[in-house]
Amino acid sequence: MTVLNKARISTGAPAVPARRRKPISARAYKVFRVVALVVVVLFLIAPLFWMLLASFKTNVDIYDAGKSFLFSPTVENYANVLQRNNYFVFITNSFSVAFVSTALSLVLGVPAAYAMSRFTMHRSALVVLMARVIPGVSLLVPWYYVFSNLKMVGGFEALILSHMFVALPLIVYIMMSYFDSLPLELEESAQVDGLTPIGAFRRITLPLSVAGMATAGILSFIFSWNNFMFALVLSGSKTKTLPVAIFDFVSYASIDWGGLMAAATVVTIPIMIIALFTQKYIVSGMTAGATKG
Amino acid sequence: MKRRSIVKYAAVAAVLSLGLTACGGSGGGETKASGTVRVTLANHVWTEGIKASIPEFEKATGLKVELTQLGEDQLSDQYNVKLNAGTDEIDVMMYRPLQEGKAFAKNGYLADLTSKVSQDAGWDWKDYQDGPVKASTVDGKVVGVPIITEREVLYYRKDLLKAAGLAVPKTMNELQAAAKTIAATSPDTAGFVARTNKSAAVTQFSSFLYSFGGDFVDGSGKSAVGSDAAKKAYAFYGGLIKNFGPKNVSTDMSWPEAMAVFTQGKAAFYTEADSLYKNATDPAKSKVADNVGFAALPAGPAGSKPYNIASWGLAVNKASSNQDNAWKFIQWATSKERTLAAQKAGVPGARSSVWADPAGTSTYPKDLAEAIASSAKAGVGHDRPEVITVGKAREIVGTPIVSTITGADASAAADKASSDFQKFLDSEKK
Repeated sequence: MTVLNKARISTGAPAVPARRRKPISARAYKVFRVVALVVVVLFLIAPLFWMLLASFKTNVDIYDAGKSFLFSPTVENYANVLQRNNYFVFITNSFSVAFVSTALSLVLGVPAAYAMSRFTMHRSALVVLMARVIPGVSLLVPWYYVFSNLKMVGGFEALILSHMFVALPLIVYIMMSYFDSLPLELEESAQVDGLTPIGAFRRITLPLSVAGMATAGILSFIFSWNNFMFALVLSGSKTKTLPVAIFDFVSYASIDWGGLMAAATVVTIPIMIIALFTQKYIVSGMTAGATKG
Repeated sequence: MKRRSIVKYAAVAAVLSLGLTACGGSGGGETKASGTVRVTLANHVWTEGIKASIPEFEKATGLKVELTQLGEDQLSDQYNVKLNAGTDEIDVMMYRPLQEGKAFAKNGYLADLTSKVSQDAGWDWKDYQDGPVKASTVDGKVVGVPIITEREVLYYRKDLLKAAGLAVPKTMNELQAAAKTIAATSPDTAGFVARTNKSAAVTQFSSFLYSFGGDFVDGSGKSAVGSDAAKKAYAFYGGLIKNFGPKNVSTDMSWPEAMAVFTQGKAAFYTEADSLYKNATDPAKSKVADNVGFAALPAGPAGSKPYNIASWGLAVNKASSNQDNAWKFIQWATSKERTLAAQKAGVPGARSSVWADPAGTSTYPKDLAEAIASSAKAGVGHDRPEVITVGKAREIVGTPIVSTITGADASAAADKASSDFQKFLDSEKK
């Protein structure tokens, strides 16, 4: 109770004078903004930075607090990851699964979203959303059962299908709100000019939706790249993806922290680069529908 | 024009999906042939040795081995999904007899190997130590062959003991006194370190429990973690860490963290599984590699009673349609020669004959080999409660460890844990 009261006081107290106070000067605001940004960035970057440093350390040095920042760097961990453990295979696997599942989901999802948006098919939209709401874990056993009876476990198709199951609803929902925001009049005037409804979709709406599709595609790509659970059960030794392969550095009586961190860096960097160059789309995807009634 | 373009798109989509099915088609199909044994193993030094020699097995038998290798927890997750779905795509499985053996056996995942192990006199099931055999036997049926064993031993720093003029402790009281001396004389070094995470610490606490005369469950199947012996053991283990352990000790240390404290030179004594010894003696991982000594667990009021258990075993999936070949693989992988080779690579096995063979301990530090030999004789065959839902039981009986480390009364914590544990045992019987 005392804790609660304190919390109430501490949040309540500054709020009251703040209202009376004159607007803070622009300079003070700037300083505050820089400090706040630095704090937040440090907080978010610290684990990544630690990972990067650790990937250049030997296993003895990683635990040595005295060598947190000053140490003699080694590239042995990366040699281990990329040469001996042949991570290029896993990178290729991850990339092809992410790419194909995203592409197929776009091919199926965009027209579906268009239909649902233009013909206000709320119930169908709800059913699609269900797939997104069901926790993936509860699907794993039935999926495994079905795929193993179809002799598909360990192949790329099962992985791609499972990732599509999550990517499709994501794409449908982002695209639906995107299509909702496009004025219907554009298509109507296209039809007046002689296009069929499908022609209008293809020639007018689709080109206007490239930004939306980019958003949806990137988000689904990132999901697929990071997915661990489906790949753990449905992939085989030939189709192992990066998140599963990372655990090869953890074994029962010894953990290769250096190798693990180097592998984690290898997994993180491609997706960070993609995210960096496409952040405009990612942010617009996250706020999609936020400002619309 | 317009209609043709739709057709074009449909064609592209069809080709895409067809192409997919064609290019990824290596998933199953040909593995149905009974000449292939599908083996699932955990990441382990043992596995590395086996992997390198699989070509020998394939050459000798004409069988093909398809190997899947995963981390410990990932392996466990995968078994839970796949075996639950009744898969026949796993023939041989590496599993943890004490952690999941009982649950797997009760669920009918593991084939009964009783008649198979007794058939081949040359392979010799009688050669296996009692503790590990007990661990891989459920309800009188042999369901697995132990491959890797562990005992708790005392790791210590030779240089620190020498500097302080201390002898290697033979009893728990001596250990306490020595830890106290070192903690008092060198402020940067803890006297003692061990696992502190409530679940992870249970196995290393178990040897203390037995050495104080207790156990998790008594002869009649009732909870015994509230007994006087158990209370003393909790107070002793928690007290060692609280009083002479690292400053501001975390109560979330499993072996990697506790081992790091020791290998960074920050503790004088450490009780841990012998199978981890290379982490302490390998200069690439340990700063104190040259100064690590090993001894048998110090004796408590009931003597020195470390666990001697099978941490990993090989089993055959009951749903496999390839059980005979699976057994052939196990027989080969657990033969005396293979066990000796693995043991030389630093993986303690379960065969008495290999331990008796001087070659079997030739690669071990001499004091460690002696500690293992004496531990194997007096060893107890379990290091955690022998129940079905082991994970939950460990959380319950491990809680008093954390309580005593953080300064709570061991007796009250043990009483509470005992009543919780009794409820848990009752619920499992239903």
